[in-house]
Amino acid sequence: MQIKKDEVVWLLLFIAPAIILFFLFFIIPILFLFVTSFTNWDGISAEFVGLENYTKLFNKKSFVRAITNNLYWCLTAALITVPLALIIALLLAHRSRGWKVFRTVLFIPQVVSSAAIAMLWAAMFNAEYGLVNFLLDYIGFSDYKNHNWLGNVRTANAALIGFSLCYVGYFMVIMLAKTAGISEDYYDAANIDGASQFQKDLHITAPLIKSTFFLCIILAVIFNLRQFEYVYLMTAGGPANKTQVLVVYIWNELSVQRLGRGNAAGVIMIAIGAILLLSLRKLLKSETYN
Amino acid sequence: MQRDLSSNFYFIFKWVIIISFVFYAVFPFLWLVLASLKTNAELLDDPFKLPAVFQFQNYSNAIREAGLGKLIINSLVISTSATFLNILFSSMCAFAIARHTFWGKNVLFLMITAGILVPLNALIIPYFAIINFLNLYDTRFGLILVYCAVGLPVSTFILTEFFKSIPKEIEEASYLDGCNFAARYFRIMLPLALPGLATAGTFQFILCWNEFIYAMLLTSSTDIRTIQFGISYFTNQFFSDYVGMFAAVVISILPSITVFILFQERVINGLTAGSVKG
Repeated sequence: MQIKKDEVVWLLLFIAPAIILFFLFFIIPILFLFVTSFTNWDGISAEFVGLENYTKLFNKKSFVRAITNNLYWCLTAALITVPLALIIALLLAHRSRGWKVFRTVLFIPQVVSSAAIAMLWAAMFNAEYGLVNFLLDYIGFSDYKNHNWLGNVRTANAALIGFSLCYVGYFMVIMLAKTAGISEDYYDAANIDGASQFQKDLHITAPLIKSTFFLCIILAVIFNLRQFEYVYLMTAGGPANKTQVLVVYIWNELSVQRLGRGNAAGVIMIAIGAILLLSLRKLLKSETYN
Repeated sequence: MQRDLSSNFYFIFKWVIIISFVFYAVFPFLWLVLASLKTNAELLDDPFKLPAVFQFQNYSNAIREAGLGKLIINSLVISTSATFLNILFSSMCAFAIARHTFWGKNVLFLMITAGILVPLNALIIPYFAIINFLNLYDTRFGLILVYCAVGLPVSTFILTEFFKSIPKEIEEASYLDGCNFAARYFRIMLPLALPGLATAGTFQFILCWNEFIYAMLLTSSTDIRTIQFGISYFTNQFFSDYVGMFAAVVISILPSITVFILFQERVINGLTAGSVKG
C-alpha cells in the first residue's frame, strides 16, 4: 500500500523501536567490538595497540585450541548430527506410524534450556552416580565403572560430542516438514515401477530436500560456533583447556578485565562465522545448479 | 522373496534407529525425574531401582532453601515482559514492511533478518559495556531490553511472512473507510494475525525463559536472578546434595516443556516457516 503524506509519521513511529533496538544491540556492538579489538581497553582506559591483541591470541595455545574445538563441534554437527537427522526424517516421512509422537519427543531437548541440559548431562557422565557408567558396566565394559568422562583429558571432548547428538530432533523436524510438501505423485509413479522404500528415499526424497539439508548444516554451524553453556557448565573449558571454546574464552578474558583482547577474540569468532557461512552458501549454490 | 527380505531389513533398521534416538532424547529426563525423588544414598545404588520412599521433600527443600520461588517469579516477569515488548515492536515493524512501500524497506528487512546469522555471543563484552553505559546493569529492565532485541530478527521475520499471507482486501476496505495507520494495525491486522503472534510469541518466550549467558553477564544480585542462572549455583551450593540439584533442574525445565506441549504445532510451524524459506 502506498503511504499517504500524513501517514509518514505513523510509519516512522512503527519502525522506530525495532530500528533503535537493532542499532543498539546489533550495529553498535559490532562496530564497538571491532574498534576496541585494536586497543588494550580494560574497562577504564584504552590505548591503541594495533594488532597486538590478535598476535597474542594466535600465539596462545588455549585460544588456538578453542578455535579448533569450535570447528570440531561444527564439523561433527555437519557430518554426524545433521545426516543422522536426515535419516530419521526419511524414516518418519509419509506419515509413518506414530510420526507425530516421535517428532514431539525428539524435539524436547531443543525446548529445554541449554543450562538445564548441560547440568543433566554432567550428572549423566558423573563418575559416581552417572547413568552412562552404570549402563557401560551393565553391558560389560566394567573398566569404565568409575571413569570420570568430563574430567579426563582423553575422553572429555568425546563425551561432549556424544552428548550433542541429543539435538538431532531439531534438524529432523525441519527436514520432516520439507518432506511433507513433496507431491505424492512421485511416489505413486515409483510404486508402479516397483521401487522399494529405500530406493524411493534415495532417488526421490533425498534430492528434493537437499536445499533444506544444507540449510540445516548452516544452522548447525551457527549454533555450534556460538555455544557456551554446555562447555561452561560441564567442563568450564577443562581439563587443561582441552575442551575450551571461543565464547568461554571470551568470557574468561572478560572476567580478568582484558576487554580489548576479548573483543579481538569476538572479531575472530564473527570472521570465522562469516567465512563458514559464505563457503557453505557457495557450496549450496553450486550443488543446486548441478 | 528378495523384496520381502529387503523390506524386513528396512523395517528393523527403521525401528532400531528411531527407538534408540527416542531413548537418547528422553531417557536422561526420566532418569532425572526418578533421581530427583531419591535420597543421596539411594542415588549411588542401581539407577533403575525405585526409591524406598518417594522423596517429595527434595522439591520443597529446593524451593525453600534456594529461593526457587523468587527465581521463578523473576524469570516469569522478565520473560513475559520481554516477549510482550518483542512481539509489539517486531509486529509493528513487520506491519510497516509487509503492508507498505517506502524507501529503504527491503534494506531494512534484509538487515534485520540477517541478524539471525550473527553469532551474538561474540558480543558479550560490548553488551556488558552498553548495558553499563545505559545504567541498566543488574536491573530487570536491562535484561528485558536485551532479550527483546536478541529475539527481534526471528520475530520480525516470522511476522512479516505472516502479515504478507493475510489477504489485502479487508485492510483496503478499512483504508477507504478512513481508518488511519494505527487503527488499521490495532483493529484490523492484529486480530487477524493472532496465530502468527502466538507462534512468534511462543518462540520468544521459550528463548527468554531458557536464556543463560546474558542473565549471568548482566545481573549480579539474587533479587533479580533468573532461574536458569539460579540453578547453575546449585552445583556449588548443594555441593553434595545432588538430589536437590536434580529437583531444581526438573522445576526449571517444566515451564518450557509445558509451553511446548501446549503450543507444539505453533513452535514447529514457526520453526519450519522461519527456516525453510530463509
